[in-house]
Amino acid sequence: MLLSLLIFLPIVLALAVTAWPQKTTLRYLALAGSIIEFAVSLVVLLQFDKTSPALQLVEKHMWVERFGISYFLGIDGISMMLVMLTTFLTPVIILASWKSIDERIKGFHASLFVLQTAMLGSFLAMDAILFYTFWELSLIPMYFMVGIWGGARRIYATVKFFIYTMSGSVLMLLAIIFMMRLTPEVTGGSISASILDFYKLQIPFIAGDFFTPQTLLFFAFALAFAIKVPMFPLHTWLPDAHVEAPTPGSVILAGVMLKMGTYGFIRWVIPLFPEAAEHFSWLFIGAGVVGIIYGALVAMIQPDVKKLIAYSSVSHMGYIIIGLFTMNSYGLNGGLYQMLNHGISTGALFLLIGMIYERTHSREIAKYGGLASALPFFTIAFIIVTMSSIAVPMTNGFIGEFLILLGSYQYSPWVAVFSVTGVVLGAAYMLWMVKRVFFGPKGEIVLAAEKDSHHALYDLSPREVLVLVPLVVLIFWMGLFPNQFMNYSKTSVDYLIQNKNQYMLLGAGER
Amino acid sequence: MNTANFGLEDILLTSPMIVLFLFSLVPLTIKILRGNVEQVHLATVIEVLIGLLVTATLIVVFGSEGQGGSPTAFGGQLIFDGLTTWSSLIAVVITGASVVLMYENPSTRGPQFSELMFLTMSSLLGALILIASINLIGVFIGLELMSLSLYLMIAMSHEQKISKEAAIKYFVLGSMASAVFLYGVSFIYGTTGSISTVDLMETAQPLIQGHSNLFIFGFALVIIGFCFKVSIAPFHAWTPDVYQGSPTPVTAFMATAVKTASFAAFLRILASKGIGGSDNLLNLLQWLAVITMTVGNVAALVQNNLKRTLAYSSVAHSGYVLMGVIAVGISEGSAYPAASVIYYLMAYSLMTLGAFAVLSLIERNENHFVQTDELAGLAKSHPMLALCFSVFLFSLAGLPPVMGFFGKLYLFSAAINEGLLWMALWGIINSVLSVYFYLRPIVVMYMKEGSCTSSKENYGTTFVVVVLAVLIIVLGVVSGPIFNMVERSLG
Repeated sequence: MLLSLLIFLPIVLALAVTAWPQKTTLRYLALAGSIIEFAVSLVVLLQFDKTSPALQLVEKHMWVERFGISYFLGIDGISMMLVMLTTFLTPVIILASWKSIDERIKGFHASLFVLQTAMLGSFLAMDAILFYTFWELSLIPMYFMVGIWGGARRIYATVKFFIYTMSGSVLMLLAIIFMMRLTPEVTGGSISASILDFYKLQIPFIAGDFFTPQTLLFFAFALAFAIKVPMFPLHTWLPDAHVEAPTPGSVILAGVMLKMGTYGFIRWVIPLFPEAAEHFSWLFIGAGVVGIIYGALVAMIQPDVKKLIAYSSVSHMGYIIIGLFTMNSYGLNGGLYQMLNHGISTGALFLLIGMIYERTHSREIAKYGGLASALPFFTIAFIIVTMSSIAVPMTNGFIGEFLILLGSYQYSPWVAVFSVTGVVLGAAYMLWMVKRVFFGPKGEIVLAAEKDSHHALYDLSPREVLVLVPLVVLIFWMGLFPNQFMNYSKTSVDYLIQNKNQYMLLGAGER
Repeated sequence: MNTANFGLEDILLTSPMIVLFLFSLVPLTIKILRGNVEQVHLATVIEVLIGLLVTATLIVVFGSEGQGGSPTAFGGQLIFDGLTTWSSLIAVVITGASVVLMYENPSTRGPQFSELMFLTMSSLLGALILIASINLIGVFIGLELMSLSLYLMIAMSHEQKISKEAAIKYFVLGSMASAVFLYGVSFIYGTTGSISTVDLMETAQPLIQGHSNLFIFGFALVIIGFCFKVSIAPFHAWTPDVYQGSPTPVTAFMATAVKTASFAAFLRILASKGIGGSDNLLNLLQWLAVITMTVGNVAALVQNNLKRTLAYSSVAHSGYVLMGVIAVGISEGSAYPAASVIYYLMAYSLMTLGAFAVLSLIERNENHFVQTDELAGLAKSHPMLALCFSVFLFSLAGLPPVMGFFGKLYLFSAAINEGLLWMALWGIINSVLSVYFYLRPIVVMYMKEGSCTSSKENYGTTFVVVVLAVLIIVLGVVSGPIFNMVERSLG
C-alpha cells in the first residue's frame, strides 16, 4: 500500500488544489502536501532494506487479465534514489515558484502534482504496460507546463518536446507488445507484461545480423530512452524546451524527467537485452563522448545563460550514458550517482537563473557583469553550485564523474581520455560564464540598478535561502559522504551486473 | 422453402427493431394528431430517449450470452450473436447522445424536429438490421435504410448552402456505392448460388483458391461498397465535405453509430474467411488500410476547420479498424481480433462523439463553422469543457491510460498476433503523426489568448460531454473486464 500511497497522493493533492477555493492559501496547501509526500517517501526509505537486491514493498494486482497486465509496483535500490530525488525536488520547486508563477496557479500546481505521480509511477512500475502508461502520462503535464507558463516561443518548444518524446516511445510500445507475446515460453502458457517475466526471456541474438529480435527490440527501447535522456544527436528538443520552460518546469525537466531516460536504460534495456547492449555499447559510449564534447563546446558560446545550462545538461547526460554502458560496477554506480548529482546541481542552477531572471528580466550574459558586488550571497550560492556542476572534489559531482571515468578507463582507456576533456571544457565554460556574470566590469544591469532605485537588485530573500539551503547541504553531504547514499543502490547494481554476466554465460552455453 | 415459418422466438429476438420502429412513429403521429403543429421539442426528445432506452434494454435482455450456437431469426436471415449485441448497443447509446445534441444544436432544432427524430431512428433501425443480417440482401436493405434516412437528415439542416451540397454529394456517391455492392452480390449469387454469409464461409475459400474470377470480382465489389461506407481511402473523398456540410450532431451520428454498424457488417463478411485464401486480396486490403491511415492523418495535419480535421481523423481511424478487420479475416476462429475491433469501435465512437459534442456547443448558429484558432481562450472561459475536450483529443491520439490507448493496444496486439507486424508499425508511425493535429486545439485552447465561449443553456450537451469524458477515462482504466465481456460474448 505504501507505494500506491506514494504514487497517488500527488493526484489527490492535484484534485485538492483544483478544488481549493482560496487563492492566497493555495500555495501553502501545495507546499504542505508536497512535504507530506516527501515524508511518505522517507517512510519508504526507512522500510527499505538496502542489503537485499530484491524488489521490496511489492504490490501486485491483476489489471487486464487477458493480457497479463498487472498493477505491479516494487522498489529496489535503483528506484529508491530516484524516488527520493523526485519527492525532494517537488517542495523545493513549489517554494521556488512562489513569486515567479502568478497566473493560473491552480493549473500549475495541479500539473506539477500530476507530473509527480507520473514520474514516481515510472520509477516504481514493474509492469511494462503500467510503466508505459506512467511514462506517457508524464508528457501531458509537462506539455502544459511549458506551453502555458513558458516563454515567447513556448508553443513551438512544447509541441516539439511532445512529438519528439512520443515518437520515441511508441516504438517502445510495439516492442513491449512483441515481448509480451514471447512470455508464454517462460510463464508456462499465460501472457504477461511483468518485468520479472521479461527478465527470464532469452531473446535470440546474433552478433553480425541487425535483423535479429534482440537487436531490434533493443533499439526500439533504446531509442525511446535515448530521446528522453537526451543522447546526442537526439538532443535538439532539450535546449528549446529548457529555454522556453518556466523555471519550475526547467528544474523538473533537468532534475527528474531526463533521469527517466537513463533509468529506463538501467531498468529495461541493459537487463533485458544484455548481449545487444554489450555489442552496441561502443555506439552509445561514442555518442556519449561526442555529446560531452559537443555539449560543452556549444555551451561555451551561448549568449543566453539558460541555454548555456541546457547544453551543459547535454554534456552531463553524456557522462551518465557512458557510465551505464561501460556496464561495470564503477560505471553503473557512478552513472546512477551522477543522475542524482545532475538532478541537484543542474536543478539548482536553473533555480538560480530563475531568481536572477525575476530580478533583471534578462538572461543575456552580455548584459550582466559585476553582479557580485550587488548580490554577494547570491554569488556565493551560485559559485557553490557551479563547483558541484564542474565536479570539484568535496562536492557531489566529483564522486560521480570520478567513478564514471574509472569505469570508462576499464572499458577502454581512450574513452576515458576523451571524456576527461569534457571535465576541462566544463570547467572552462562554467567558470568563464561565472566570470562574465558576477565579476569583471559592471554591466548594463548593475549600472542601471545603481542609477535608478526602480531597478534595484535585492539579494536573496529568506524564501530563496530556504530554497537553496537544502540543495547546498546535499551538494556537500553527497560529496563528503557518498557511501551513505551509494549503499542504497550498490546491492541492486551489483545484482544487476551479476545477473547480466550470468545471462551471457547461459546464453553462450545454449548456443 | 422455409416460407413464413416463424414463431414467437423470432419476434422476441427482433423485438428491439420492432420497438424501435414503433417508437420512431410516435413523434410523427403526435405531430399529425396535433394538426401538423410541432410539439415542444423537449417532449419529442424524451419520447425518443425512452424509445432508445427500451430498445437498449431489449438488446441486452435478448442478446446472446455467447454460450452455444447463436440464435437466428426468420429462417437464418438475422443473427443475434455477441457481435450483434455489442455493435447494436454501441449504436443505440451513441444515437441517444446524438439526439441530445440535435435537440440543442442551432442547425437541427426547428419546425421539423419530429421528422428529424423519425429519420434518426429509422437510420438506427437500418443500422441494427445491417448489423444483424447474415444475408447479403438483408445487409443491402439495412444499408439503404440507414443511408437514405441519413441523406435526408443532412439535407434538413438549416444551413442553406453547404449542407445541400453535402447531401447531394453523399446521395450520388452513396447510391453509386450501393449499386456497386449490389452488383457484387449478384456475382456472388451467380457463382455460389447463395447470398448467405454463413454459406460464404464454406464456399468462399475453395472458390478463391480455385481462381474463380467471377466470384473474386463479386467479392471485391462487395468490399469496395463497404470501403465507401466506412471511408477507406481511396473511397474516402466524400468524407470531409459531407462531414463538414452536415449539421454537427448528424455528423457525430454518422461518424460513430453509422460507422460502427457498417464496420460490424464488414467484419461479418470478411470473417467469412474469403480473404484468407487470396494473397492478392489480402495484400490489397492491407495496403488500403495503410493508405487510409496515412491519408487521413496527413490531410488532417493541414486542416484549420475543426470539423474537417475530425473528418480526416475519422478516416484515419477507419484505417486502424480495417487493420483489425483484416486480422479477423485471417485469424483461425479466435474471438480475440473481433473483440479488439469492437472495443476499438466503442472507444472511437465515444471519443469522436465527444469531440463533435464540444464543437456543437461552441457553434453559435447554423452558419458557423468552427476554426481551430477560434478556440483560443476556451480554457479560461470554460475550464471544464476545455478539460473534457482535451481528454477526447488525448484519447484520439492514443495516450494512456484512456480508452484510445487501450483500443490501440488491443488492436495492434491483434494485428501482431496474426503476423501483421508491418501494419502495426505503420499504425504506430501514424499515431505519432496524428499527435500533432490532435494537440493543436489543445495548444489554442490553453496557450493562446482569446474570447471563445459557448452558449450557457445547453445543459444536455454539456452533460453528454462530461459523461463521455468520464466514460473514456473509466472504461480505459478498467478496460480489462470490458474486453473480457466482449470477447466472451463473441467466443
